[in-house]
Amino acid sequence: MAAQPMPAGDRPPLYSLRHLTYTYPDGTPGLREITLDIFAGDRMALVGRNGSGKSTLIRHLNGLFTAQTGECRYQDQPLIGALIPEIRLRVGMLFQDPDDHLFCPTLYEDVAFGPRNQGHREDEVDRLVRDSLTMVGLDSLCGKPAHHLSYGQKKRAALATILAMKPHVLILDEPTANLDSRQEAVFKRLLHEYTGTLIIIEHNLLFLHDLCERAVVLADGRVYHDYAFNDLLSNPQALREHGLDFTFRFAGRNRHYIGAGHHHHYLPTHDHGTEGGHLTPKDSGVPLIELQHYSFCYSDGTPAINDINLGLFAGETIALVGENGAGKSTLAHCLLGLHRGKGTFLVDGRPLVKGDWPLLWRRVGIVFQYSADQLFCPSCWEEVAFGPQQLGLSPREIELRVQKALAVVQLEGFDKRVPLHMSGGERKRLAIAATLSLQPEILILDEPTASLDPKSEEQLLAVLEALPMAMLLITHDLFFIRRLCSRTIVLHQGLIIRDYKTGAFFADNQLRTINGLDNIN
Amino acid sequence: MTSLATRTIVLTPSQGVVFLLCLLAPLLLLLGCRWRRRKILGRMSTPLDWSIPAIDAQAHGSSVFHCWMPAVKIGSLLCLSFLIVALHSLFWSMVSVLIALIAVHLARIPWQRPLQRLAAVSGLCALFLLVLPLTSPPRPGETILLVPLLEWLPLRLTGVVLALTISCKAATVALLMEPMFATSELSRTLQGFTNLGLPGTLIQMILLCHRYLFVFQQEAARMQRAMRVRGFVPRTNLATLRTTGNSLGMLFIRSFERTERVYEAMLSRGYRGTFPAAAKQFPTAKDVAKGLVAVLIGVLLLVLDRLYPVQWP
Repeated sequence: MAAQPMPAGDRPPLYSLRHLTYTYPDGTPGLREITLDIFAGDRMALVGRNGSGKSTLIRHLNGLFTAQTGECRYQDQPLIGALIPEIRLRVGMLFQDPDDHLFCPTLYEDVAFGPRNQGHREDEVDRLVRDSLTMVGLDSLCGKPAHHLSYGQKKRAALATILAMKPHVLILDEPTANLDSRQEAVFKRLLHEYTGTLIIIEHNLLFLHDLCERAVVLADGRVYHDYAFNDLLSNPQALREHGLDFTFRFAGRNRHYIGAGHHHHYLPTHDHGTEGGHLTPKDSGVPLIELQHYSFCYSDGTPAINDINLGLFAGETIALVGENGAGKSTLAHCLLGLHRGKGTFLVDGRPLVKGDWPLLWRRVGIVFQYSADQLFCPSCWEEVAFGPQQLGLSPREIELRVQKALAVVQLEGFDKRVPLHMSGGERKRLAIAATLSLQPEILILDEPTASLDPKSEEQLLAVLEALPMAMLLITHDLFFIRRLCSRTIVLHQGLIIRDYKTGAFFADNQLRTINGLDNIN
Repeated sequence: MTSLATRTIVLTPSQGVVFLLCLLAPLLLLLGCRWRRRKILGRMSTPLDWSIPAIDAQAHGSSVFHCWMPAVKIGSLLCLSFLIVALHSLFWSMVSVLIALIAVHLARIPWQRPLQRLAAVSGLCALFLLVLPLTSPPRPGETILLVPLLEWLPLRLTGVVLALTISCKAATVALLMEPMFATSELSRTLQGFTNLGLPGTLIQMILLCHRYLFVFQQEAARMQRAMRVRGFVPRTNLATLRTTGNSLGMLFIRSFERTERVYEAMLSRGYRGTFPAAAKQFPTAKDVAKGLVAVLIGVLLLVLDRLYPVQWP
């Protein structure tokens, strides 16, 4: 379908793109014949599937890429030559990975980098740095290096580095990826306050809902639609056509449960009173894994999780929720034996002895938050076969497991594909297949939906719903929790503060607010 | 013909113990540090911590070194280090260690960091201390030391003195590193190097290396963890070699991709080939005076070393 430009009124365009085409050096087409006007003060969402050309397009707007064919004009001047360095000082661009932004030894230096390049005096630089850091709530950390910050702090720090330059145009590439709702809310507030031209690439249309007035849909490097944002939301056919249909999130609500639980030990390993909810249920059976009074501190003494009591049963799907830094990933690493803390660790009702730790991976599989870290082989087949090969299985059995695992995650025929060249959603599913080939009894998924477009999310949901094993889902995504999980565990500052039925969790508005989970549907 | 007659000193048992302790001190320091580290980590039940300590972790303290302009500080302390390295005699080398210890004390840095630096050089020093007393070439009239119970292992005094002198000088320089680099933020330290005439590109490379070392370390750790949870145990076989090669290759590709992204992020914030510096600083009279004192100490040590070379008895 051809682009349908939004009416511009009498405003002259800030950016004027005409038949802009870009091809990567390896021959991959990035943009094809893009014709688009962006006006001063526009608040525009740039949406489309992964690989549709969104990031390539914004790189042209900042002068990082120059037009190969066609034209890209800024305030009616072609965006080439001497104009490019000038534009970069006026057009702020926030990349997806905050570590790419924070390249100086301290946060202060990072934020000062842009204003200094703009030629501000040092006292003015100091004011801009402090104002920006205060705005994102990091003023107390200005002397810290980036590697001492949490992910959410890094993301806000990266935004501060841009805001300090007082850009006329602000371009953001997936600003909310991997953030909890509280951090998302900070971003939303800051973007509401920003008065310049705003261009956001984001899969989370709900986040964009009251931020953007215009939506440009890209597919295969072309502009397919140019809508008022609300018109896009009200057009389910266009949403589905471009893999943006998030309405599956509203289907099947209220599928789970009512009722409250309490903390308890499933297996009596020591004497206990009945106070504090430490009751032993009569008919709960033997959990696959149980932690009793389990604590873990990092080597610098920082406590990560504290006095955890948790049992995981065969076949159940549990959500582990909590704010960024609550200790969710650390708890997952403890369940895998990657971190060894203090307390009782029971497997099938028996305490783990020294020699059992290295074998825990045979029973518990994990899909890490950054699935790229999990993929290190040159082909999908080798990636999925890696685990079974370590088990010393026969080639026939390995082949069988590989094909089965690839089929489960809907990646049949991907055997020879290079993982590095696959989309984010495909990589995530490949990481799941690589774990499934080990046939674990418990599967831990750490932020499975981060950075996925709605289409990939929907595919992932279908895959996860079909898996028979016990699952522990670490996520901020309430929709996935509602659809998949029967039980929800709330972690706060390293402590389990609730362990109850998912229905009870959804009824607990106060707790969802505490954990910054109150504004996702 | 030169006489090769030697003098032999047989140490008493107590002298022997003290002597051996001195000789083995670096090795003991190294082993002690490793033992302490293992003990602490064992108590905390965590895997070994391979994280890289930040070079400027103590930059926000307050001492004579913290308020010293980095360019002058680095210049004069480097000069002092070179002068100390030029010393010949053991006595004045030992005095230089004392001076370095006083400098660390004045810098108000926790002793753990200088000790870690000493532990880092102690392996090399231990090697000198173990090998030189046995292998230094025979000289006319030299002294042979015989340690009780180790009479079968005669030690050449010239070798012992030489090894101790080298160790003292190495320890002094290692100790001086802390007041030199840990008492200013890295960016200011590197600015100091720029003021001393080091090429800007080199400085930028150091800056980015220091920042991204931590990121790559985290990526490598995550990848190793992913391999471990899928049952990978490194062995001495081809499969291990292939897997390690794959993971290193993947890390390399990802590092390369990150390099491109970081460069783009820098360009998008107005980078034009040089890091913008904070307002240029000029040395105060105090800075220069401190620098002069440091250099004078070095010169004085060197002059005394040459004029009054205290000989081993």
